[in-house]
Amino acid sequence: MRQVRLIAVNFVREQRWPILVLMLWVGVLSIMGVVVDVRRSGEDVLLIFKQVAAYGVAFAVFFGASAIHNERKTRRILSVLSKGVGREQYVAGLLCGITFAVSLYALAVAMTGTWILEPAGFPVRHLWFLMLCLLIASILAAAVAVLFSTFLNPLFATLSAILVLGMPAAAAAELDAKWADLIPVYALLELLMKASFSQKWTARWDLVLLGFFESGLCWVAASWVFSRRDIAVAID
Amino acid sequence: MVPALEFDEVTKQYNRWYRPQRVTALDGLTLTVEPGEIFGFLGPNGAGKTTAIHLAMGFMRPTAGRGLMLGKPFGDRKTRRRIGFLAENVALYYRPAEELVRFYGALNDVPGPCLKLRVRKVLEALGLVEYARRNAGKFSRGLLQRVGLAQALINDPELVVLDEPTSALDPVARVTVRELLTNMRNLGKTVFVSSHLLSEVELISDRVAVLNRGRLVRVGKTSELLASDEKLEITVRGIRPDVFPGGQALNGVVKFRIGSQQQRAALEQVWQLGGEVLSVNPVRRSLEQVFLELTAPAPAGAERISHR
Ligand SMILES: Nc1ncnc2c1ncn2[C@@H]1O[C@H](COP(=O)(O)OP(=O)(O)OP(=O)(O)O)[C@@H](O)[C@H]1O
Ligand SMILES: [Mg+2]
Repeated sequence: MRQVRLIAVNFVREQRWPILVLMLWVGVLSIMGVVVDVRRSGEDVLLIFKQVAAYGVAFAVFFGASAIHNERKTRRILSVLSKGVGREQYVAGLLCGITFAVSLYALAVAMTGTWILEPAGFPVRHLWFLMLCLLIASILAAAVAVLFSTFLNPLFATLSAILVLGMPAAAAAELDAKWADLIPVYALLELLMKASFSQKWTARWDLVLLGFFESGLCWVAASWVFSRRDIAVAID
Repeated sequence: MVPALEFDEVTKQYNRWYRPQRVTALDGLTLTVEPGEIFGFLGPNGAGKTTAIHLAMGFMRPTAGRGLMLGKPFGDRKTRRRIGFLAENVALYYRPAEELVRFYGALNDVPGPCLKLRVRKVLEALGLVEYARRNAGKFSRGLLQRVGLAQALINDPELVVLDEPTSALDPVARVTVRELLTNMRNLGKTVFVSSHLLSEVELISDRVAVLNRGRLVRVGKTSELLASDEKLEITVRGIRPDVFPGGQALNGVVKFRIGSQQQRAALEQVWQLGGEVLSVNPVRRSLEQVFLELTAPAPAGAERISHR
């Protein structure tokens, strides 16, 4: 556990600038809260809020697809993995680091959202549930990206992750809406994107649990692949 | 006792699916490093030293063969806790040296209270105390290498694997590291060190292995490798220097060199002439000479890059 924690903290520390950039979006949101009269243009504000929130997933994919690559390219991974650190611990550390970063984001967005949208009559519990969906979607997206990044370079890992995460959406559109739940990043984001003031909402805990469970599966798979990879060879 | 390191017919090929060529970096390496020795791992550029070290650390998997580190297969996580490693071009995070060393110690599960003490100790041992609070990202190459050594020693390892540990160090630091390594050996620990600084290896290592083009060309005790069995230096008194070709006189003592087969005849000749034999010594070669002989360019056709 200590190793996982150290690697996670180290990741956050090394990625502090991208994380800060991510947090700037929350700043943009709060400026909007000051400038715009939410009571009159509630749905417009909600739309922007949802879009900003969804950036968290994009960042998670970006972090996930590039984390291992960066460490290998700088060769810093060698001193870390020369210690008593297992490859599965290493992957877990990266995922925890990413989780921490997106949790921070989701929390900040949730607090800003509460402050801006509650006066306009958006149910706070719904809002916080949506932020939980955002968080789980981000974790799962990151886990899928990390899985691909164990054997692909960041560009291809990102593309593959987008493809895999988008597939349930395509299947849902073409075949049956149930397919969307298969890898529920899209389904969770859909909950967020479709939220409105007038909507009667229900908490889809099944999707949250499934997303969490699948993230764990991705971690297992990523660890398995990564422990079979040569990490000291030149990377392309 | 369990060997510190054991390579058993280890081969490593680098290949990429989109390239027709494969490079055999290591070709059937079999080597045993005993506990408690300083083992010098030599070879020209591209010989495969770093490859062998990375395989031992579990960073890569051999194409063929297997190996043990402290009795456990290469790459065993628990075993790595008991060893120290310094990479060839050490790359560390940009943060204060002390913090860095503490980070690596914690990664290696050095318990909290002990860690503080160890950090101070290794920083002192490597002359880094005045740099402890400075950002390693701004360090010179030599200072960085010292931090690298500090992190390798933080867990008081049983075995240290060092890939060219002194390549960037100044003369004073080199002496310090040399003393550090001999001290470790005196405490019964094992040092496996790859280096191009032959005079240094000659000074400290008990045994050396020479690698060339991925193959082991020589392994043995340093003293035996340096002693040439072909030539002897004989020191005598009481004969004229021109009796033997190449004889040199100094303060009434005559020194000359002969092939080892002629030893008996030469000694008898000295006694016949009424001379007195003071010493007979094998001529010591430098490690550099041995190295150059062993790694002389191979004849054409020994190319290692093969096509599938
Ligand atoms: N990632 C890689 N891909 C392809 N070939 C490689 C790779 N790494 C090393 N090689 C090749 O393997 C051979 C051995 O390299 P290695 O780095 O082990 O040599 P070395 O003995 O450490 O050399 P040096 O003294 O220069 O550090 C070389 O021919 C090198 O070009
Ligand atoms: Mg090397």
